[in-house]
Amino acid sequence: MNLSGEHRINAPREVVWRALNDPVILHQAIPGCEAVEQESPTSFTARVKAKIGPVSAVFSGRVELKDLDPPAGCVISAEGTGGVAGFASGDARITLREDGQATLLGYDAEGKVGGKLAQVGARLVEASANKITNAFFSRLDGLVALPETPPPQSTDESPTIGHRRQEVPLERVLIGLVAALVIALGVVAAFLQ
Amino acid sequence: MTITVSMTVNGEERSGVCEERTLLVTFLRETLRLTGTHVGCDTSQCGACVVHLDGDSVKACTILAVQAAGRDVTTIEGIADGDTLHPMQQAFHENHGLQCGFCTPGMIMSALDLLKHNPSPTEREIRDHLEGNFCRCTGYHNIVRSIAAAADMMAPGEG
Amino acid sequence: MYAFRYHRAGSIDEAVRLHGSCEDPGYLAGGHTLLPTLKMRLAQPSDLIDLGDIDALKHTATTSGALTIGAGVRHNDVARMSHSIPALAGLAGGIGDFQVRNRGTLGGSIANADPAADYPAACVGLGATVVTDRRQIAADDFFVDLFETALEEGELVTSVIFPAPRRAAYMKFPNPASRYAIVGVFVAWTDSGMRVAVTGAGASVFRVADMEAALARDFSPDALADIRIPEDGLNNDIHATPDYRAHLVTVMARRAVVRANASSDGVRL
Repeated sequence: MNLSGEHRINAPREVVWRALNDPVILHQAIPGCEAVEQESPTSFTARVKAKIGPVSAVFSGRVELKDLDPPAGCVISAEGTGGVAGFASGDARITLREDGQATLLGYDAEGKVGGKLAQVGARLVEASANKITNAFFSRLDGLVALPETPPPQSTDESPTIGHRRQEVPLERVLIGLVAALVIALGVVAAFLQ
Repeated sequence: MTITVSMTVNGEERSGVCEERTLLVTFLRETLRLTGTHVGCDTSQCGACVVHLDGDSVKACTILAVQAAGRDVTTIEGIADGDTLHPMQQAFHENHGLQCGFCTPGMIMSALDLLKHNPSPTEREIRDHLEGNFCRCTGYHNIVRSIAAAADMMAPGEG
Repeated sequence: MYAFRYHRAGSIDEAVRLHGSCEDPGYLAGGHTLLPTLKMRLAQPSDLIDLGDIDALKHTATTSGALTIGAGVRHNDVARMSHSIPALAGLAGGIGDFQVRNRGTLGGSIANADPAADYPAACVGLGATVVTDRRQIAADDFFVDLFETALEEGELVTSVIFPAPRRAAYMKFPNPASRYAIVGVFVAWTDSGMRVAVTGAGASVFRVADMEAALARDFSPDALADIRIPEDGLNNDIHATPDYRAHLVTVMARRAVVRANASSDGVRL
């Protein structure tokens, strides 16, 4: 199946790129995300509890990053497994384009789904994937969008853009998006064809 | 967790120990040893597991045994009168309404529910009603013919 | 199936109270989506609360101009109510197969909000009101997104109030195996205007304003002939492309208008 789209994030490209490298932001932006872990400089795992309709399953996604071109984009190879539920895998090309003060984040993913998911949920895979990616982008936009007025300085843990100063390894790239795509590919709501 | 489930099966009070997650079809077959009700697809599509629950045909693979507790269940074993076949069974026999026989218990239990609501169905109505019962041998033709014959046999005044 | 605790609630209050006291509970209505999901281990609730014994969910009532159907009323029971709102009865009689209709319930179907379910089209198409244990929700606001409704955690649908239409019909293009709607269109001429509700085509049921406006001018299939909904965002699966679904919406809507005009016996409420 093919999954593609473009979302406008109301923040400059550098900010979006950095936000997508921030585990705190990612954790909050991925619906149902329980953990993001780095396995190697270019591979990561994410655990996501996904709930769509009657289906509620914990999916593990493994992500491999390629063709890094910060902050313009990259290619992501991902595979997700949901235990007995099935598996999903795919490649996604991610592009970040400037649009004035905002960023257009485009993705074009080609994926396949197997196991019970494919057997019984084919009619719902794509719709579920769209729902999860849309939720991811709207949360992301809410987290990084330029505020109308400058936010008050704060020292608490809240993940505002203002205090993210430390360098996050660039390779933590886009896990959120990837996890969303992987999980989306993997999650299938019930039911029967 | 194991629980004791009691229900009326084919007119008799029956009870057995199972789990809360045990399906009705599993309870009937493995706990009560009533193996006439079959498991085909196990996904509520094929209809091999059709039984009557409080008089309505249902798919026993998609009901928990505990949901049927205290209710009235009729299986294929419960419709004959001793050694005398039920007219629906007789009609399947006479019209060669089965080959391998795997779908037959479900077909018969489903067909009985049709005749309860529609005693003289047209061929089209019979075929529509069998939407949830799959046969992989007969092409349905003789099944439809059997049900039509049973409807004639069971009609008032036809003995 | 993973293990769970089973409760059989005797009343609406008890069901809601049980739901609030369990860790990760689920309501069990007809169970024909939930149990297959559990059998595949695609969900793991701690507790199931069976609603099958709650008589208050099984009542139906006809008041002037409206039909109220309890959330626990089964599809086959609605299918036999052809004297009240024939389009609704016909829709219920086309869900799944006969055995599924002997178990599946109105409330279970709309709370699940499957994108291809039939009932959402009737609820939105007739401008129904969903009644829960705590409030009333207009059908237009009830269905939010894919498998997503306005229901809060633990909120239980108790009945649905369907205003009687002047004319109405539902037409669907079913998947030949599952009987789920690849596209289903409910068209109704109601006291508050024309309503066209589409299921199966998008992530959730939706209305088509252009078609409603056209039918308000002329309640005939020809009025819809040149209206084609945008395919953007429509469902895509192995059964139908967005382009094909967009095409089917117009075809099914036109057929529904033909059928609505043909059922001149209308509604007797």
